[in-house]
Amino acid sequence: MTDSSTSISPSSLPPLDSPEVVDLHRKMKRRNLRGRLFTYASAILIALWILVPIFFVFSMAFTTEDTVRSYPKNFLPFIPFSTETMTFFLQSEGVLESLLNSIIVAVVTLVLSTIIAVPAGYAVARYLFPGRDLFRLAVLAVRAFPIVVLSIPLAVLFLRAGLFDSVWSLALMHTALAMPTTILVVSSVFASVPYELEEAGQVFGATPLQSFRYIVTPLVLPGIAASGLFTFVLSWNEVFAASVLTLENRTLPALVLTSLANSPDAFQFAGGFFLMVPSIIFMFFIRKYLFNMWGQVSK
Amino acid sequence: MPYLLIAPALIYLAMFFAYPMFQGLMLAIFDDDAALVLVDEPSLDGQEVERLTQGTRLNILGRQGNLLTDDSEGTELLTEQWFLVVGESAGGAEVSGWAPEARVRIRDEAADGTPLGGTIRPRLGAGSDEATPLLAEPNETSETVAELEQRAPVTIEEIAVLEVWFQVQASEDSSKVAGWAPSRFVEVFDDEETGRVDEGSVGEFTTGFITKMFNDSFFSDAWQTTLLLMLLILPLQFVLAMLMALVIDARLKLGSGFLYIFTLPMGMSDLAVGILFFSIFTGNGLLNSVLEAIGILDGPKTFLSADTIPWIIFAIVLAELWRATSIVMVIIVSGLQAIPRETLEAAELFGAGYWQRVRHIMLPLLLPSIQVALILRTILAFQVFAVVIALSGGDIVTVLANETYRQYFEFRNNNVASAYALFILLLSMASAFFYLRAVRAQTEVANT
Repeated sequence: MTDSSTSISPSSLPPLDSPEVVDLHRKMKRRNLRGRLFTYASAILIALWILVPIFFVFSMAFTTEDTVRSYPKNFLPFIPFSTETMTFFLQSEGVLESLLNSIIVAVVTLVLSTIIAVPAGYAVARYLFPGRDLFRLAVLAVRAFPIVVLSIPLAVLFLRAGLFDSVWSLALMHTALAMPTTILVVSSVFASVPYELEEAGQVFGATPLQSFRYIVTPLVLPGIAASGLFTFVLSWNEVFAASVLTLENRTLPALVLTSLANSPDAFQFAGGFFLMVPSIIFMFFIRKYLFNMWGQVSK
Repeated sequence: MPYLLIAPALIYLAMFFAYPMFQGLMLAIFDDDAALVLVDEPSLDGQEVERLTQGTRLNILGRQGNLLTDDSEGTELLTEQWFLVVGESAGGAEVSGWAPEARVRIRDEAADGTPLGGTIRPRLGAGSDEATPLLAEPNETSETVAELEQRAPVTIEEIAVLEVWFQVQASEDSSKVAGWAPSRFVEVFDDEETGRVDEGSVGEFTTGFITKMFNDSFFSDAWQTTLLLMLLILPLQFVLAMLMALVIDARLKLGSGFLYIFTLPMGMSDLAVGILFFSIFTGNGLLNSVLEAIGILDGPKTFLSADTIPWIIFAIVLAELWRATSIVMVIIVSGLQAIPRETLEAAELFGAGYWQRVRHIMLPLLLPSIQVALILRTILAFQVFAVVIALSGGDIVTVLANETYRQYFEFRNNNVASAYALFILLLSMASAFFYLRAVRAQTEVANT
């Protein structure tokens, strides 16, 4: 690339302090500044577009029930703060149980899918074996299948096996949904740790297991934690399978969904708040790994 | 070694993904109890003589008990019991043989109700003096081995439970042959002489469920809305995602803060986003308040009702744009990062302006990423569900995933629900295939 610039003969260029060049520089600077301003303006507009609805629902979740019912609403930052809606929501029937169910399902899903996916991810990252590409393709295909296709037969199967309407069966299904992503992310995390490091450890007398334990593990742990958080959020959010597979032991999204038609707005807004909180927290920790996760797929 | 490591994942996916997926798709095209097989004799070894579809009207020609098979637990059965009895014959010899429960009056029972002994019932009416035959096997067709006088005391050695079999013939179709079938598949009407096939004994492949889905009154609404939403959302989404990606790629100060905000919706459930936009569009929501405050409206306008379907569609489009653009952005940003800086610098050096660089360098190089994002987004667009329910209640505006849910949940029709799921799957695969072809064709054009 640099060759192309040297091919222009330097003698044909006007001197750097000539009026044309100075003018050109000023123009470029101005254009640059305008571009910057435009970029900042877009960034702020987009940020507002994303933040304002969140802020509105959050303030609805922490206000009085009268405010929720009132019209017109005060302008944004001035909605009176109160824990009334939240208390009402938490005291509604089934809410605490469903919160607990959601946590159990998400944690079981996280543990199960991580335990199963980490060895598989390691294998894909470290070994070249016949069938490796096929395995990757199969994993990708699983992720591409629509959840709705899977939920109905699983419900029927669990019904036959007597596992219907339990948090465990839902966790089994969520694990199947989350595992492909986890495998791909974990394998990209392992791939980012050069194998030479492991070898170096072994040169200095560590057993393969020791070099894995003391060299690789600390390096991959943050990435695996991030994919775990992602799994947690996925399970926490999942509403279709949860509504199909549970009846009495609803998770939070399933409870909120099935009571949408006959619950007051305050209930919905507070429920929406609880549905959003984990993702807002976890997104903060996983944002660095997002490109790891999704950069993968386009390769 | 690597196979050992991937084995758990493979086994798990086979158990909880491949197998149920297969089962589910079978549900859509296979009717578990489509037909009742009639056999030539009342026995499990009987030869098939006829098949009757579910619901066929029957004449009941005969009935007979038959030994139970093991798999019949839990089904509603017409049964009769036979006893292996030991008693003293008229000649004074001890004889034993099988007799149906109707021939023995129980007089002695164990604590749990198991009959232990009794007497032979006297027959009423004509032939009342006849002796009761004892048979070699618990089956009316087996040979008589002994006879017992009426009121002879007997002890019960063994009990056999028999299922009643019916000899039936289709009453409205004379071309069908008569044959035997277990009573559990037959519903007998009050007159005891007619009935109907209640459930089939064998499955058959059928297009019935798929036809039923196509004829479902919500079907055309559902797929049209799904398609309309896709056509409205996807182009806007890709423009917005491109813009967001360029902003992130510009590496502003506070860039990581913007990245965090831009990716916030990625982790949010579609239900939460549905509620979010419900709070904006509902009667006393944010939108009305703002519009009235700036003087566009005089009073609250109803956006989310059966009379304002375009507004509901608009709200769904906004909600989906809000929710799902981040993922497209992330894919595009990782595509942008893979573009060598030198290429862009070279273009700049040759005088290409910013938009020219975007149009002629970035976009073509981003095609693979855009393809992936398109496939992903289209597949997800077929699954739009909770947003629609939250904004429309699931009745006024409906989509395919919502109908799947409704068939399963409200109408309890697993088969039609699976037919919907199959339809969604086929659409997803078809669109993925289409994009793969289209983008490949375009890259070929670009290369020539």
